[in-house]
Amino acid sequence: MLVLRDLQKQYTKFRLGYLWTLLEPLGMSIVLWLVFSVLLSRQLGEQPYALFITVAILPWWWFTKGISQSTRAFKKNTNALAISLLPTELWVLRVILVSMAEFLLSLPIILLAMAFTRYVPGPLIVFYPVAIILQFLLMYGIGLLVASGVAVIPDLARIVRIVMRALFYLSPVLYSVSKIPHHIQSYASLNPMVGILGLYRIGFWPAEIERTINYVISFLVALVLIGVGLFVFRRLEPRILKED
Amino acid sequence: MPRIHLTPDLAALVEFDSVGSSVVRRSRRKGGGRKQKIRRFAGEFQHDREWLLRDVSTLIGAGESVAILGTPDSGREEFLRLAAGTLIPDEGRVLRREPLIPMINVIRALDRSYTFRQNIYIIGGLLGMTPNEVEMKVGSIAEEAEVAAKLDKYLGDAKPMIRQKLAWSICMAVDANAYAIDQIVVVGGEDYRAHCWERMEAKRAAGATFLLVSDEPDFLLRFCDRAIVLKDGGILVETSVEQGLAIVGELPGDERRTKRKEDDDDDVDEDEI
Repeated sequence: MLVLRDLQKQYTKFRLGYLWTLLEPLGMSIVLWLVFSVLLSRQLGEQPYALFITVAILPWWWFTKGISQSTRAFKKNTNALAISLLPTELWVLRVILVSMAEFLLSLPIILLAMAFTRYVPGPLIVFYPVAIILQFLLMYGIGLLVASGVAVIPDLARIVRIVMRALFYLSPVLYSVSKIPHHIQSYASLNPMVGILGLYRIGFWPAEIERTINYVISFLVALVLIGVGLFVFRRLEPRILKED
Repeated sequence: MPRIHLTPDLAALVEFDSVGSSVVRRSRRKGGGRKQKIRRFAGEFQHDREWLLRDVSTLIGAGESVAILGTPDSGREEFLRLAAGTLIPDEGRVLRREPLIPMINVIRALDRSYTFRQNIYIIGGLLGMTPNEVEMKVGSIAEEAEVAAKLDKYLGDAKPMIRQKLAWSICMAVDANAYAIDQIVVVGGEDYRAHCWERMEAKRAAGATFLLVSDEPDFLLRFCDRAIVLKDGGILVETSVEQGLAIVGELPGDERRTKRKEDDDDDVDEDEI
């Protein structure tokens, strides 16, 4: 309930910038579409490619934002932490929820892309919310891990930024999993975002469903990460509170 | 933070059981050996563990007003935070029967990019009020802090005094029976101070418990039943307030106290900028 209050507060800041929530990923999709589809004319994913990128880039945006901001979840709030009687995890949850709200608000872009490409999703679109929930769980796990890790290793924030950038290219945002050479495909499946991005897409391109194992893996990895995140967080909680 | 665990059948209100809290200070690596030099060059730090409090055991009963005395570096603030549960001990454990409201530097937790109303919601929420509760009390809080007229204005560069009043009013509005207070009773002019007094006296008469850290001996003498004197991270003695103050007065750390006070003034200046 306080998280809701927090969110609302956060949004008074963002309200001016709501357009930006739309423009940022929109611009990104357009640029990427131009580069990979028009300029390089590569067949990296399903057609229409503009929609193909947009569908994945929005959740990716959310992922990157949420994780990199959770590195600062405690640092930014040490003063509030000193008096807070609420569970400490809330600060991480709040960061993730705020970025999630931004993501949800940017969804109209997909409608825009659909109108632009005149492409309508099939009935499997029901998996879209499932993907959102899955991603939320995954991010909460990683967020906890990263946020508490920063209390011990201050450099972690930078490492996270680099890793996120690498992951962008290692995850099937710009290409589809089927374009990965076969012998490394099973390693690629270990990346939980592979399954989640797939789930986002199967509503549009049912062919993406082929590798069910990906979804199972993402789900398991998300669960494991939440477990690990909570465990690490519990162990480090005294240290986190001492930061100031 | 606490996920504050309460122990309802505890005899005392708060029980410290051989509690220790340490910080790890990072300092530049010392030493002239080649290895150390290289590590220093690499920006590596040395980690030294320093105990702020160690082996602290005491009981605080319901309805008591206890002054926590000691030099500023004696771990007074940590003691309060441990009591309230916003700090988790590295050793031992702290049990409490009821939640304590940590009135420790609340003014710093105010966020200037939010409005007064929003700040009331945040701080109130942090201190354990539900949104409904805050909603009911927001009017009286604003009135007490004398900010009713600008409730929806941004906090921005509001004067420290106003923020202090706001923080105080929010804390006092929480329905709690125990408070851990650090230096907060230094606000306002004579009238306002008298008013704060009344509030606290009324709470105490109603059976509330207070843990107080303050640099105002008069205030402590008037308000507190007994004192706990901290020194070098341990409890030196538990005694009456008069004696406690006398003991602290003789401690060599007295200069540091005045220095700390100056530091605090600096902080206020920073806030004003």
